[in-house]
Amino acid sequence: MPLIGQLALALALVVAVYSIGANLLGIRRNSPDLLLSARHALWAMCAMVTVAVAALWTGLLTSDFSLEYVASYSSVTLPIQYKFAALWGGQQGSLLFWTWLLSIFTSIAIFQNRRRNPEIMPWALVVLAGVAIFFLGMLNFVTRPFDLLAAVPPDGSDLNPLLQNYWMAIHPPSLYTGYVSAAVPFAFACGALITRKLDDGWIRTTRRWAIFSWFFLTLGNLFGARWAYEVLGWGGYWAWDPVENAAFMPWLVMTAYLHSVMIQERKDMLKVWNLALIGMAFMLTLFGTFLTRSGVISSVHSFTQSGLGPYFLTFLIVVVVGYTALLASRVKDLKSPAEFESYLSREAAFLFNNLMLVGIAFAVFWGTVFPVISEAVRGVKITVGPPFFDKVNGPLALGLVFLMGVGPLIAWRRTSPQTLMRTFLAPLTMGMGAGVVVFAMGLRQWYVLTALSLAAFAIGTVVVEFRRGVSARRHLVHETPARALVNLVAKNNRRYGGYIIHLGVVFAFIGIVASSFFRTEVKRSVRTGQSFSIGAYDITYLGLKGVETAHLEDLSARLAVYSGGRQIATMAPAKLFYKRPQQPATRVAIRSTPLADLYIVLAGVDDQSGLATFEVFLTPLVFWLWAGGLMMAIGTVVVMWPNVRERAALAVVLGRDEALGAAPVPGGD
Amino acid sequence: MPSKLRFVVGAGLIVLAIGYLITTAVRNTSEYYLTVNEVGARQGQLSGQMLRVAGRVKAGTISWDPATLTLGFAMVSPPNPDGSPVKPVAAAEPAEFHVIARGEPKPDMFAAGRDVIVEGRLAADGTIVARQVLTSCPSKYVPKQAK
Repeated sequence: MPLIGQLALALALVVAVYSIGANLLGIRRNSPDLLLSARHALWAMCAMVTVAVAALWTGLLTSDFSLEYVASYSSVTLPIQYKFAALWGGQQGSLLFWTWLLSIFTSIAIFQNRRRNPEIMPWALVVLAGVAIFFLGMLNFVTRPFDLLAAVPPDGSDLNPLLQNYWMAIHPPSLYTGYVSAAVPFAFACGALITRKLDDGWIRTTRRWAIFSWFFLTLGNLFGARWAYEVLGWGGYWAWDPVENAAFMPWLVMTAYLHSVMIQERKDMLKVWNLALIGMAFMLTLFGTFLTRSGVISSVHSFTQSGLGPYFLTFLIVVVVGYTALLASRVKDLKSPAEFESYLSREAAFLFNNLMLVGIAFAVFWGTVFPVISEAVRGVKITVGPPFFDKVNGPLALGLVFLMGVGPLIAWRRTSPQTLMRTFLAPLTMGMGAGVVVFAMGLRQWYVLTALSLAAFAIGTVVVEFRRGVSARRHLVHETPARALVNLVAKNNRRYGGYIIHLGVVFAFIGIVASSFFRTEVKRSVRTGQSFSIGAYDITYLGLKGVETAHLEDLSARLAVYSGGRQIATMAPAKLFYKRPQQPATRVAIRSTPLADLYIVLAGVDDQSGLATFEVFLTPLVFWLWAGGLMMAIGTVVVMWPNVRERAALAVVLGRDEALGAAPVPGGD
Repeated sequence: MPSKLRFVVGAGLIVLAIGYLITTAVRNTSEYYLTVNEVGARQGQLSGQMLRVAGRVKAGTISWDPATLTLGFAMVSPPNPDGSPVKPVAAAEPAEFHVIARGEPKPDMFAAGRDVIVEGRLAADGTIVARQVLTSCPSKYVPKQAK
């Protein structure tokens, strides 16, 4: 099996190199046969990488410890689902997984475009194959997943206990999917630039890819946050660690991109900006991988230090320089006839939203690389911690929520102040009302008051939009309100799906603000039978219970939770002692309600004194972060839902190209 | 043309505001990030400052009182700095600092020989009073070579 995997990876590299040659030659000689052969080569690459993945999975599932990778990241007693997840538990495996996704996405893109984009496609495939070659080169020569051990150990050293968790099993694949699928729009952007087909054809063709990437970046970030919340036991979910930032930055830029392409589709503006954004998004995915693989920036997630750093940096520089030069050489072709007309227009709202999103991304980038820069410039390593990110991004987030409220209701081109007042009366009232209510409840922090008012304003906008649409349908087509709502969303899924996402973002924002400002914490060491309290809860420690399995020892505490003299829950936070590697881990007990989460950590048990130490957090409204995340996911599915009108629009755009005298479609009719 | 100019001004203002936020935040929140040896080399000038110090927990120096949640230990430089992201200062003496952390539970991964990052203030007597002790949790840890 290992030999098959190794061989498959070598063949994959060969066919990828061949596909580039065939594409370039095919473009030069205008030979449909060569271009077709290049496509087939990339399908073969996908098949080969799939074989390699299957080989590594087989090794993991059969506990073949002659493989160094299996011996390092698995063990006989590891539960089967984590043997699967061990594929992305280590460096070699995660790079293989990455390459696999890339080859699958490339194949899908080829299939989707078998009769479309005849000019852009070969170049897009050259770019995708180039990226694949980099990763395959790493897997074949630098960090090989199928290296064998000279002496086969009886058992492996097991997957890191922190990774043996449901969320951790799904977090890396989501994030990788988001990262890798950003390569498809990027490749099409390159193709459009090279062939000078700079209308919005490439954007429309890859729109669903961009949303797909955004969807998985969103999920990846949320799953990571959820994992941190459930597993790490510090009561929070986000710490502005470089590794988290690396996942957050592409998300921000992709969000900006998804908004600004709407302006190009409608008004034929911001072409350079869109090309720059998709370039940045892709580069940031590479940068994220570089960051986690190089050890340049110290993170609490200190990944394997490996020799990959310089290779990644070189590749990243090639991509940045190459793409920038390409974009610069085409700026003359990208002149837009249209212009911004008024601040009171949707274009303006989108433009400012873009500036803020990219501004946040830049601030996060700056804060992340600051230690490296300060060391280079001043010779001292200076870090900026979470307070930096909060200080910069807090105000910018307010701006974004405000624009999120403005964007959907304001008209394209220009609006008169009177119309504006009329349109925004209801949401503004809601926003102010919320502010007054919160003030009356006794909250005085200016940030919280502003944040909640703006959140209510943004929700108000969405409500107004839905109401307007529903009542229009009721009057025009005489439908029941429920029916009208369903049809409204189904017929304009892009628009109303977007609003659902906005609602999700606002709910998540409320959860983040409330949990950041009002979390309370109690740390206490107690004996059996003793009680302590947090907020309105009284908690009594009832005792310990230990369970031992072949894999781990599970020591859990039992706690009775009382509120108003009535027992409302029994909670059992635990300490887990993994046997190999010998390492303790925490299992947090969480009682989540829409109002607040009660979060209990068993921080330690002292054998001599019998004292158990608990760390208890009471976090208001954090539930809404996860609920908002779920809404964002649902909204994105609605947006991605196949839509007949959109397909027709795409056909028109691409047909327009062909009417202008495009090359014959290889393999087409 | 004037409308274009207005937009350049508007966008410029936003960019300036973001730049302002970043520079003030950097000024107010930055901390030195040093190794134990680097702190040793400039102990005088760092006294009283907020620091982030990377080092290794020295074996046999750990004291933990669960009743008061007080953790004390000595921190030294890792003996073998290669592979470490922190570059040692060439001329620095091997240094050792006592760290005291109050009111925080002992981190799961905390043990002798672990690499830790301590965030805290350097007291006049050379003790680091920690606000936070972070253990480098290798989410993908280096397997021991079984050879």
